[in-house]
Amino acid sequence: MTIKTCALSLLSVAALCSTAAARDQIKIVGSSTVYPFTSYVAEEFKAVTGNKTPVVESTGTGGGMKLFCAGAGLDTPDFTNASRPMKAEEFETCAKNGVTDITGMMVGFDGIAVAQSKTNGEIALSKEQLFLALAEEVPSKDGKSLIKNPYKTWNEIDAKLPNRKITVYGPPTTSGTRDSFDEMVMETASKKFDAYGDKKGKYKAIRQDGVYVPAGENDNLIVQKLTKDTAAFGIFGYSFLEENGDKINGAVVDGVACTSENISSGKYPISRSLYIYAKNSHRAEVKGMDEFFKLYVDDKMIGQKGVLKTIGLVPMTSEDLKKVQAAVLAKTKLTEEMVKKHTILP
Amino acid sequence: MSNQTLYLIFFGGLVPLMFIGYIIGKARAVTIRSKGIKMHSQPDQYGWFVALYTGLPIITIGFVGVFLYLFGIHAIPPFMLVAGALSAGAIALWLFFRQVDAKTRARDSVENFIKGMLLVASLISVMTTFGILLSIIFEALHFFQTQSVSYFLFGTEWSPDTAFLEGAGRSDAATAQAKFGAVPIFAGTFYITIMAMILAVPVGLMSAIFMSEYATPKLRAQVKPFLEILAGIPTVVYGFFAALTIAPAIVKFFALFGIEAQYQNALSCGIIMGVMIIPFISSLSDDVISSVPQNMRNGAYALGMNKAETIRFVVLPSAMPGIIASILLAVSRALGETMIVVMAAGLRPNLTWNPLEDMTTVTVKIVESLTGDQEFNNPLTLSAFALGFVLFVVTLIINIISVNTIRSFHRKYKVSTL
Amino acid sequence: MQEKNDNYFYIPQIKRRNQKAAIFKGLTIFSIVFSISFLVFFLVDIVRAGYPAFTQTYIKIEVSINDEVVENPYGVVNGKQLKIISRAWLRDLPLLIKSNPSWMNTKQEFWALANSEVDQYLKGKESRTSERDRAYVDELKNDGKVELKFNTLFLLSGDSKIPENSGIYSAIIGSLLTMIVTIAIAFPIGVMTAIYLEEFAPENKLTHIIEVNINNLAAIPSILFGLLGLAIFINFFGVPRSSPLVGGMTLALMSLPVIIVSSKAALKSVPASIRQAGFGLGLTKWQIVRDHVLPVAMPGILTGSIISIARAIGETAPLIIVGMIAFVPDAATSFSDAATVLPAQIFTWAGMPEKAYLERTAAAIIVLLVLLLSLNAVAIYLRKKFERKW
Repeated sequence: MTIKTCALSLLSVAALCSTAAARDQIKIVGSSTVYPFTSYVAEEFKAVTGNKTPVVESTGTGGGMKLFCAGAGLDTPDFTNASRPMKAEEFETCAKNGVTDITGMMVGFDGIAVAQSKTNGEIALSKEQLFLALAEEVPSKDGKSLIKNPYKTWNEIDAKLPNRKITVYGPPTTSGTRDSFDEMVMETASKKFDAYGDKKGKYKAIRQDGVYVPAGENDNLIVQKLTKDTAAFGIFGYSFLEENGDKINGAVVDGVACTSENISSGKYPISRSLYIYAKNSHRAEVKGMDEFFKLYVDDKMIGQKGVLKTIGLVPMTSEDLKKVQAAVLAKTKLTEEMVKKHTILP
Repeated sequence: MSNQTLYLIFFGGLVPLMFIGYIIGKARAVTIRSKGIKMHSQPDQYGWFVALYTGLPIITIGFVGVFLYLFGIHAIPPFMLVAGALSAGAIALWLFFRQVDAKTRARDSVENFIKGMLLVASLISVMTTFGILLSIIFEALHFFQTQSVSYFLFGTEWSPDTAFLEGAGRSDAATAQAKFGAVPIFAGTFYITIMAMILAVPVGLMSAIFMSEYATPKLRAQVKPFLEILAGIPTVVYGFFAALTIAPAIVKFFALFGIEAQYQNALSCGIIMGVMIIPFISSLSDDVISSVPQNMRNGAYALGMNKAETIRFVVLPSAMPGIIASILLAVSRALGETMIVVMAAGLRPNLTWNPLEDMTTVTVKIVESLTGDQEFNNPLTLSAFALGFVLFVVTLIINIISVNTIRSFHRKYKVSTL
Repeated sequence: MQEKNDNYFYIPQIKRRNQKAAIFKGLTIFSIVFSISFLVFFLVDIVRAGYPAFTQTYIKIEVSINDEVVENPYGVVNGKQLKIISRAWLRDLPLLIKSNPSWMNTKQEFWALANSEVDQYLKGKESRTSERDRAYVDELKNDGKVELKFNTLFLLSGDSKIPENSGIYSAIIGSLLTMIVTIAIAFPIGVMTAIYLEEFAPENKLTHIIEVNINNLAAIPSILFGLLGLAIFINFFGVPRSSPLVGGMTLALMSLPVIIVSSKAALKSVPASIRQAGFGLGLTKWQIVRDHVLPVAMPGILTGSIISIARAIGETAPLIIVGMIAFVPDAATSFSDAATVLPAQIFTWAGMPEKAYLERTAAAIIVLLVLLLSLNAVAIYLRKKFERKW
């Protein structure tokens, strides 16, 4: 009986002692928008180099930054995905916790499409029209005060728009996509209306009466909805529009069509840049970080003819890519000015 | 020195020390006994006596040290901790070894030690409840520091939009105050639960009556596995089925009547949750109905009632407390159900009577708040804990009522099953 | 009528009452039939959706192996073929060639994996393959170069962003590791608690508190255990996120009540005469429990534990909160590596847009159900075999 107990306890000890000193698996956290692209590269990385596949977790941009900046120890992530540039406060937190050597890389662009069933043909909307359709409060007829949004059909907002019931499926408040949409469409459009007074240029409350329906991450369901409810619109990332191009098309916003070229050139008005940040201090301890980063920034991945384009990434122009590649391969350290200017180039 | 090495040293010291203690304790007892002296306990019990009391100081010091570190009270350098624990163990080894003689009541000491160990194991369940309570309350209190409790419980507007921005550091005086009125969310949870109950209670109860009253033992043995399979299906699978098959079927069905149903309607969740709960109610009610004494049924038959009447007017009323208890347990199960609603229900808090619209529940919001893009100390994330706290309290209350009902049922019939 | 008035035992309402009784009985039968037919409908639907995933399309191609191919495998096939062959297969080609150096500078025939859109087309589902590509595939099929083979990738490879390359291997390993942790924690603690409560506990306040607690734990929604795992195991104890360790610890706490209750019942069913005989012979309580009561109650304890483990395997909600839905293509090799479990994999795949994941989700569900059914069957077999009538 004693021998058995001894053996059992020794075995369990051996099993528990699996915390490694140096790590051989890369840990990545961050934005759910960049997640599919980073996961794809992670898989490529394993196939091409034979290293262990990096673990990619979708925690959201904010959550990812928090984990990334929590410290420089090996139990913190090595990379973080972000659907926006790192903020000054986050950079400070990083520095305070000992994470001082960060290199950033731009992955590409993500356009936010306003999609509808293809059976409707093409439709052109302006940011203001979108805003008026979705805002919680809209200016009254005389433009002086605010009233609760009364619009139920698109032609009530503008007679040139079709007589379709306003239904919009969009990201929930916990999504970074929603954050970008709020900033780029709602806030920008609210600048045009004096009725908002001191909230002009900052108004982004979206109506809660069922016209705007927060839809989760389940894309299948959303396509089903758009094809069944042909009057409805969906607000999602461009990659999703690409995936289902046979069933849905994107509205032309402010006169610009939602295509890859328009997004990467910056003409399409609702687009944002995607980033990934690396913790340089981990490069010595964690196996494969250098190769992974090199693979990610390669033309084959994020270039104009790269693979990620086929899964919906809008790549940057070749000149911009060359600059980013130079910065990444030189392990350029992120500085406070760079963060303030929202760039990862020196 | 790395963690790994420290663990190895700790256990590499603990186990051999205990082993040595056992061996020498037993050997000494054997030696004393062979001299012809009558000993209180058996030799191997003396062995365990030494071994256990050698291990005790080592483990205690180890635990105390770890807890002091975790609570941030005092961080003892790990190497010193391990060394200290092992040396304490060695001292204990020597001390208890010296105690091995005829008069030492080793058997009783070992019994008490084991009893203590079992008690500690039992306390883990108590600690778990406390753990859940603590983890939720702490963060929920954080939430209530900035949001009003009464609005949370009674307000009807859930618009955390701007809370997201506060957390993201982009709000200012111009943004509207985030509102956290959880009534639509509670309403969604209760509505879906009620729909599930409307399906599950009659079907489950009737199935239970069939199984306990009408079915022959052979038929019962054949049918029971099916119900157990139904009970064993994981909820994520139910959720997938609801989203994939049931919801589109409902939409198509109502389209025949010209009524437009949402794809993420509450009805599909209600139906699937009801099916999930049927075996629950069925097996619990089955037990309760079977335990109603036979002489009650015999009395009814003697008075000329037929079987259905006996069941309706005699058996069911007497089993009613147990049945109500099982229904309450099923309700609390439905309230806490997550996967089905995450996959098939919507995200929009919606206060409505229309089951064909999308609505959301407490559990969906908890999952959404903890897996989204925002900051951790954001009121939206903390709202998950506040919602979790309400969920905990409600299921606790329902459970207490249920247990008390069963207890009074037992007292009434002096039945000892369940 | 004469007959009726003469018959002393005639009750006028008997016909109605018997009718009502028949309806009542009919309703109970209907309920059972409803439940069983729902189960059958459900199983049929899942199997129908899932069995296509067990076969996969392969296309026969001829490739000349040389150094260029190792450098750029995507150039080894022509444009038409590139659109129908899986990128994952081409990607793995260099490593395959490296392990077979004798192939260098020869022409080899391979059965290459087709990409998922072509696969869906051949299975008769909706597909995004263009008309031209479809015609090309049909042509190849007529030449006998296209075949549906058994999908070993599904069982042998882990998750992937490329649908035709994805499988449940890493999820199964993750589930296995998590279950080992769960059993290792829950079984000893659960059985020890049951022994304490049944054999040793005095009738005092503390015992009452413990029993009430266990009842409460059984009724707490599973997602709250996830919150506990997040707040205490990850944030406080610092257990690595997404690891089988933290998943197993959380599930162990969830499984405790069931193990305790069933072990208590098993211990209670051992007749008092055995214990009393032991006392009569002068054994201590612990010796009686260890050598006589426990072995006899063990089958019942094992049955209860297996059933509780079967329930834990299917749990998803708490594991989502502790982070086990990351993209983990590699199977975990230790308890602190990131891992995913089978139900979490099902949940992730259910939300993927590509249609090819739909059949894989259903197939994974089939695997999970088969696993659960076998566990339950083992438990029932144990119960039947070792059932003792005292």
